[in-house]
Amino acid sequence: MLQCIFLLSDSGEVMLEKQLTGHRVDRSICDWFWDHAISQGDSFKSQPVIASPTHYLFQVVREGITFLACTQVEMPPLMAIEFLCRVADVLSDYLGGLNEDVIKDNFVIVYELLDEMIDNGFPLTTEPNILREMIAPPNIVSKVLSVVTGTSSNVSDTLPGATGSCVPWRAADTKYANNEVYVDLVEQMDAVINRDGVLVKCEIYGEVQVNSHLSGLPDLTLSFANPSLLDDVRFHPCVRFRPWESNQILSFVPPDGEFKLMSYRVKKLKSTPIYVKPQLTSDAGTCRVNVLVGIRNDPGKTIDSITVQFQLPPCILSADLTSNHGTVNILSNKICSWSIGRIPKDKAPSLSGTLVLETESERLHVFPTFRVGFRIMGVALSGLQIDKLDLRTVPNRLYKGFRALTRAGEFEVRS
Amino acid sequence: MFPQFGATAETLSKASTMVFRIGTDAHLYDDPDDVSIAPLLDSKFDSEKCEALKRLLALIAQGFDVSNFFPQVVKNVATQSLEVKKLVYLYVLHYAEKRPNEALLSINCFQKDLGDPNPLVRAWALRTMAGIRLHVIAPLVLVAVGKCARDPSVYVRKCAANALPKLHDLRQEEHTSAIEEIVGILLNDHSPGVVGAAAAAFASVCPYNLSLIGRNYRKLCEILPDVEEWGQIVLIGILLRCVIARHGLVKESIMFSLHHSESSQSEKDGSDVEFGLLKGSRDVNGTCDSEFVNMVSRCYIEGPDEYLSRSSYASKESFNLNGTQFTSGKSNDDVKILLHCTSPLLWCNNSAVVLAAAGVHWVMAPKEDVKRIVKPLLFILRSSNASKYVVLCNIQVFAKAMPSLFAPYYEDFFICSSDSYQIKALKLEILSSIATESSISSIFKEFQDYIRDPDRRFAADTVAAIGLCAQRLPKMAHTCVDGLLALTRQEFLTKDLGSGDQEAGVLIQAIMSIKSIIKQDPPGHEKVIIQLIRSLDSIKVPAARAMIIWMVGEYSSLGEIIPRMLATVLKYLAWCFISEALETKLQILNAASKVLLCATGEDLWMFKKIFSYLVELAECDLNYDIRDRARFLKKFPSGNSSSQGLEEGTNGVPEKDFVHVVAESIFGRQTREVKESINYRFYLPGSLSQIVLHAAPGYEPLPKPCSLVLDDLNVPEGTRAIENRANYSGTDDDDHGTSSDCSDDESADYNSQRSITGSSGSDDSEYTSESNDTADPLIKISDIGNASEYQNGVSQCSPDNLGDLMSNRSLEFWLEEQPGSSNSAISEKNEVRKPSARISIGDVGRQVKPKSYSLLDSAHGNGLKVDYSFSSEISSISPLLVCIEVFFKNCSSETLLEITLVDEEANRALDTADQAVAVNESSSSYDNVPTLVPIEEIASLEPGQTARRILQVRFHHHLLPLKLTLFCNFKKHPVKLRPDIGYFVKPLPIDVETFMDKESHLPGMFEYTRSCTFTDHIEELKKESGDSLLIKDKFLAICESLALKMLSNANLCLVSVDMPVAANLDDASA
Repeated sequence: MLQCIFLLSDSGEVMLEKQLTGHRVDRSICDWFWDHAISQGDSFKSQPVIASPTHYLFQVVREGITFLACTQVEMPPLMAIEFLCRVADVLSDYLGGLNEDVIKDNFVIVYELLDEMIDNGFPLTTEPNILREMIAPPNIVSKVLSVVTGTSSNVSDTLPGATGSCVPWRAADTKYANNEVYVDLVEQMDAVINRDGVLVKCEIYGEVQVNSHLSGLPDLTLSFANPSLLDDVRFHPCVRFRPWESNQILSFVPPDGEFKLMSYRVKKLKSTPIYVKPQLTSDAGTCRVNVLVGIRNDPGKTIDSITVQFQLPPCILSADLTSNHGTVNILSNKICSWSIGRIPKDKAPSLSGTLVLETESERLHVFPTFRVGFRIMGVALSGLQIDKLDLRTVPNRLYKGFRALTRAGEFEVRS
Repeated sequence: MFPQFGATAETLSKASTMVFRIGTDAHLYDDPDDVSIAPLLDSKFDSEKCEALKRLLALIAQGFDVSNFFPQVVKNVATQSLEVKKLVYLYVLHYAEKRPNEALLSINCFQKDLGDPNPLVRAWALRTMAGIRLHVIAPLVLVAVGKCARDPSVYVRKCAANALPKLHDLRQEEHTSAIEEIVGILLNDHSPGVVGAAAAAFASVCPYNLSLIGRNYRKLCEILPDVEEWGQIVLIGILLRCVIARHGLVKESIMFSLHHSESSQSEKDGSDVEFGLLKGSRDVNGTCDSEFVNMVSRCYIEGPDEYLSRSSYASKESFNLNGTQFTSGKSNDDVKILLHCTSPLLWCNNSAVVLAAAGVHWVMAPKEDVKRIVKPLLFILRSSNASKYVVLCNIQVFAKAMPSLFAPYYEDFFICSSDSYQIKALKLEILSSIATESSISSIFKEFQDYIRDPDRRFAADTVAAIGLCAQRLPKMAHTCVDGLLALTRQEFLTKDLGSGDQEAGVLIQAIMSIKSIIKQDPPGHEKVIIQLIRSLDSIKVPAARAMIIWMVGEYSSLGEIIPRMLATVLKYLAWCFISEALETKLQILNAASKVLLCATGEDLWMFKKIFSYLVELAECDLNYDIRDRARFLKKFPSGNSSSQGLEEGTNGVPEKDFVHVVAESIFGRQTREVKESINYRFYLPGSLSQIVLHAAPGYEPLPKPCSLVLDDLNVPEGTRAIENRANYSGTDDDDHGTSSDCSDDESADYNSQRSITGSSGSDDSEYTSESNDTADPLIKISDIGNASEYQNGVSQCSPDNLGDLMSNRSLEFWLEEQPGSSNSAISEKNEVRKPSARISIGDVGRQVKPKSYSLLDSAHGNGLKVDYSFSSEISSISPLLVCIEVFFKNCSSETLLEITLVDEEANRALDTADQAVAVNESSSSYDNVPTLVPIEEIASLEPGQTARRILQVRFHHHLLPLKLTLFCNFKKHPVKLRPDIGYFVKPLPIDVETFMDKESHLPGMFEYTRSCTFTDHIEELKKESGDSLLIKDKFLAICESLALKMLSNANLCLVSVDMPVAANLDDASA
C-alpha cells in the first residue's frame, strides 16, 4: 500500500507531502528522485515505476506537476498509477487546471481531498461527484464570501447520501426543474502513414461523454445503431454488464453532471479525412522540404484547427520554411509547427523551404515524423451512431441532446 | 533614480496577481508564519483557529517541523466545527507518533465522537484514532473498530475495514485473532463497498487465512462486479489464490500444458489422449513456447528465486505437480464462477482492474478462452503513458509464452513518435517475439521506417529486433540479411567520423545481427560473409570491423570461395594492422592464427609468413594486451608445424600434440551451440515485482495447489471454525514471520514505546505500576552501594533514554549475549569500586521471548522443525558474518539422523562438479565468497529433543533471503534465511568533528531528542580512567544496538549519543 504522496513542482520543489501510513517517508527521497531526473533526463522521467534504494516510487506527470507516490511493499503498480492519475484529474477539475501556483494557493483543499481519497494507503472515496459533495470546490462565490465575511467552510457537515447507497456515484436526492441529458461522441483518430504513403494503421478511440441533469434516480438505456463496429469497450462503473453482454445495450443510472460513460475502439478504418504528403530530398548539404495537405475524404463538415508539427532532425543547422497558407513557427526545441486552420477552397496548402545540414553531411539520413492535428465538429468518423436513449421513469419533460466530434489523436505521417 | 516608483510597480504587479488569488489560501502558503500562530490556536473563534491550522498545514507541506504546537492543536479536537476538526485531524495524524503523550489527550474526544449521530464524524474519529498508532490505546481502538464494523452507515463500516490494517500494523499479537474476526465479519457485509475495503484489510492483515475466504467464496465472486474498483483489484487476487489453494490449477489452462508434457516424458503414463495433444501443442499450431510457459507457471507458484535455484541442481521432484493437483475448468464450479465474474471486469475503466482480471484468466482460463484478455489489454495501452509501460511489461511475458495470442494484433505494437524510449524498446521486443510468417513482411516495412528514426538508439534496437525476427523465422533469414547488408553499405553509417557514436551503434548492431543469423546456418550464408569481407574496406567502425574479422577466422574453411579469398584478405589485414584499434588488432591476430590452424596445402606457407609478420608487429605494439596476445599465439603455429608433417590432414586424431589441441579448443569450438538457458524471472501478472524484476518485500507467489483442505470450509461458523482459525493463525504466523521479519522487529520497538507512555510520569514507582498491566518491568537497574541515590538517577533515565530509544530486546541481547564486552566491564567495575552499578534483568526469558522465525516447519521437514533467531553476538571470524541461533527440534516419533545446514551455492557447486550439464547454469551465479561458516553436524536427534547451533552467515543483501540447504536423513530441504536489516549495522568510529560535519549534511530529518544525566556515573567514570576503554566499549554496544533497532524498520536514522567520557558517536546508515 502507498506510504506517502509528494507533489513536486516543475522545478523539483516539494510543494506538498501527505504521509499515509505510520511508516513515514522522509522528504529526502524527493531529492534523490530529482537528482536522478536531472542527471538521466527524459528516460528517467518517463519511467513510471522506479526502484530507489529505499522505496519503490510511482510517478505521474501532469502539466509539469509530478505526483510521486512511495511504497516499500508489493502492490499492484497500476493501482498506484491509476490512483495518481485520478488524483490529478480530481485536482485539475477542482482547481481548474494544474500548475504550481494553483496548488500552493489551494493547498488546504488539496490536503482535504487527499485525506478523503486515500486512507492508510488504500483508496477510499475517489468518485468525483461524491468528493464534490464532501469538499466544496473553490469558486468565485465562496472566494468572495470568504473575503467579505471571513468565514467559509468548504467541508461539508454531512456525509453524502451516495456513500451508502448501492449506486455510490450518485446522490439520491437531486432535483432539477429541467431534466436534460446530453450525449457527446468524442472520437480521436489514430493513424500511421508510412514512408511509402501507405496507411498502416487507422483506428478510432472514442468516448461517450454524458452530461446529465436529471431528478431522482433515473435509469437510462442507450443503444447504438451499429454496435458491431465496436472492437472493444470500457465502461464507467455505473454501466450494467449483463444487458451489454446479451443485447449490447447500455443500461445505467448516471452520476449527476458530466462523466465518461464508456470508451470504445474501432479498428481498421480504411481512410483518413485529410492527407499530408511530405517530401524531403537532400543533396549537397541542403534538404528541400515540401509538404502538401489536402482533403482526401470529405466528411461533410468543415475540418478545422489543422496543424502539422515535426521535429527537425538534430543534424540540421538552419531552416527556412514558408507556406502559402497558415503560419509556420520554428520553436526553440527544433520543433516546426505549421498551423493551417481550415483548408481554403481554392488552393491546397503547402509548406516548402530548405534545410541546411551540418557541414560534414551531404544528405539527410534520418527523417522526421509529421504529427497532424485536426478537428471536425459534428461527425463521428468511426460511423458509430446512437440509436436511442430512453429513460425508464419518464419525468414530465426530458430534453435530450446529441453531439459528435472527431479529433486527431496519434496521427502520424512518416517521411 | 526613483526607487519609490520601482517599488510601486512591484507592489502593483504583486497586487494584480493577488487579485486572482483572493479568497484562496495563497497568503497562508507564502508566509505561513508571519503572524504568531499560538494565540490564534487559543482563540475562541473558529475562523481564527482555522487560519492557524491552515498555517500549520502550510508549514507541514513545506517540510517544517511544527510538532511543538501539538498540545495547543490537540485541545481543539473537541471543536464542533467540522472544518476545524478536519484540519486538526490532519495535523494530529501527521505528528501523533512523535508526540504520543500529548496525543493521548485526544482519545476522550475521539471516543465521544464515535457516539456522534453524524456518520461523518464517527468515521473521521475512527480513522484518526486508528491512525495515531499508539500501543496503549490499541485495545480501545479495537473495541471502536468492532463497534463501527456493525455501524448502520456503510461509510463508517468501510472506514472500520480500513482501520484494521492500521491496528494490525502495531503488531500486537494478542489482538490478531480479534482483528481477523472483524475481517471475517466485514467480508460478509452485504454492501459491496464494505467488502472491497474488507478485502484490502484481509490482504494486509491475514493473507494466508484463505479459509476465511473459502467460506464466503461464492458470495464474494458474485458481489465482485459491484465492488468499487480499488477493492476489485485486491479481491480478484485473493479469490485467485483461494481457488488455487483449494482446487489447484486448471487442466485446460496454459499453466497445465507444460506440467503435462513434463510428466508424460518422465513417467510415460500417457494414459490420456489429451496428453499427446497437449504435449505436441507447440508443433501443432505453434501456440505456446512450452518450455517458457513451464518456467512462467512454476515461477508463479513457487516464486522465481526458489524455482531458479532449484532447477540448477536438477532436483525438481520436490515440487512435482501431479494430476490430483489439477482440476477441470469445465466441471469445477468454483473456477467457472470466478472466470464468469471476472470476465466483465475486462471492460472496466480502471486499467488496474483490467490487468488483475486478465491475470486470473491467464492463469485459470481454459486455453481457448485466454484470448479474450487480449483486446482489453491492448485497449488499456491507450489509457496513459505511465500505465502503458506497466501493461506492456506484462504483455511481454504473455506474448513470449504464447505468441499466437498477440500475433494477429501486431499493429497495436507499432511505434508512435510520442512513445518514450522504454516503451519503444518493449514494443520492439514484443513485435519480434510475435512475428509470424504472415505478418513479418509488414513488420519489416515498419522496421525499415524505424531505422530512419532520428533517435539512433532506437534505430539500433530495431536492427537488433530484425536479427531476432530472423532467428525466430528462419525462412525470413535471407530477406533480413539482405536488408541488413544494404544498411551496412549506406555511406552515412560506414563513415567513421562526423556521424558520431550513435550511428556507429546502429552499424555495430547490424553486423551483430548478421553474425547471429549466420551462426544459425553458416553454409547458407556464404555469400553474405563474402560481401561483408568485401565491405571491410569501407567500414571504419572498429567494433564492426572486429566482428567481420572474427567471421573471417571463424568461417575460413567454409565453402569454396572464402578459402580462396583468405590470402588476399590476410594480406590486407596485415597491411592495415598498425592503424587499427585495439579490439580490431586482437581479432586480426586471432583470425590469422585460426586461419593458420585450419590451413592446408600450398597456402600454408603464405599464411605462416603473414602470421609471423603480424606477430612481429604486435610484439612491438604499444598496448600490452596485444603484446601478450602475440606472445601467446606465437607458440601455436610452432607446435602446429612440428606435428604438421604427420597429422596435418587428419583432424581429430588423438595423438595431436598438446599445443595444437589447446589451440583447437580455444579457437575451434567457438561455433559450438551454447544453449541459452532462459534466466528470466517471472512474477505474477500485475505485480510490482514483475515490473522491477525482483521480489519486492511482501511478494508472495501463488499458494501451493490444493493446500487448503476442504474440510475447513464446510464447517459453519462456530467452535470448529475458530479452532481452525487458531490453527491457521498459528502456522501462518510462522510463515508470516519468515516473510517479513522487519515488521516483527517493529513490535519490539513498539513494546518499548508502550512502556514509555506508561511511564510518562517519570517516576519509578509509577513506571512499574503502570506497566504492570502489560508486562512486569523487564530491566531493573540498581545500584548495590549507594542504592537510593543511584537508583533515582538511573531509573529516571532508563525510561527516558534507554527505554525510549532502545527496544527491550536489544538491551537484553546486549546484556545477555555479550559477556565479552559488557559483563566483564561490569565485573571489573565491581572489583575496583564495590558500590557500583549493576544491571539486573528480571526473568526476561519468561516475558520477552527472542523473536524466532521458522526455517522449516515440521510438516515439510518430515518432523524436523527448525527455528532461528538473530542474536547480537559478534562473530569471532569476520565482522561481515551475522550470528544466528538455530534450534532444531524433532517433532516426529523417529530419530532423525545427520542434520546439517549447508550453503546452497556451495552445494550447487558440488553438484556441478559431477553434473557437467549444470555447469552453464550455475556458473553465472556462483560466488566465491563463503556465505556460511560450516556448522557442527547433529549426528542424531531423538524424538522431542532440541538441539541448538550458532550459525554464522553472511547475507549478500540486506533484503534478499539467503538460500540454504538443510540435509536431514540424507534428504535435501531448501530453506530460506531472511535477513534482518538491523543486524547489518556496524559501528563506525569517527571523531567529533567529522561527525558534526556529517551530521550537518543531513538536514530535514525528523529529530527526536532525549537527554538524561548520569550524574553518579560521570563521577565514577572519571575516577576510573584506566577502565574507560572497556566502558567505552559498553557504550559502543549500547549505541550499536540502539542504531540497530532504529534501523529495523528500514528507515534511515541517525542516532547520536553524547557521552560524558568521550563522545562515542555512532553513525548509522542503511
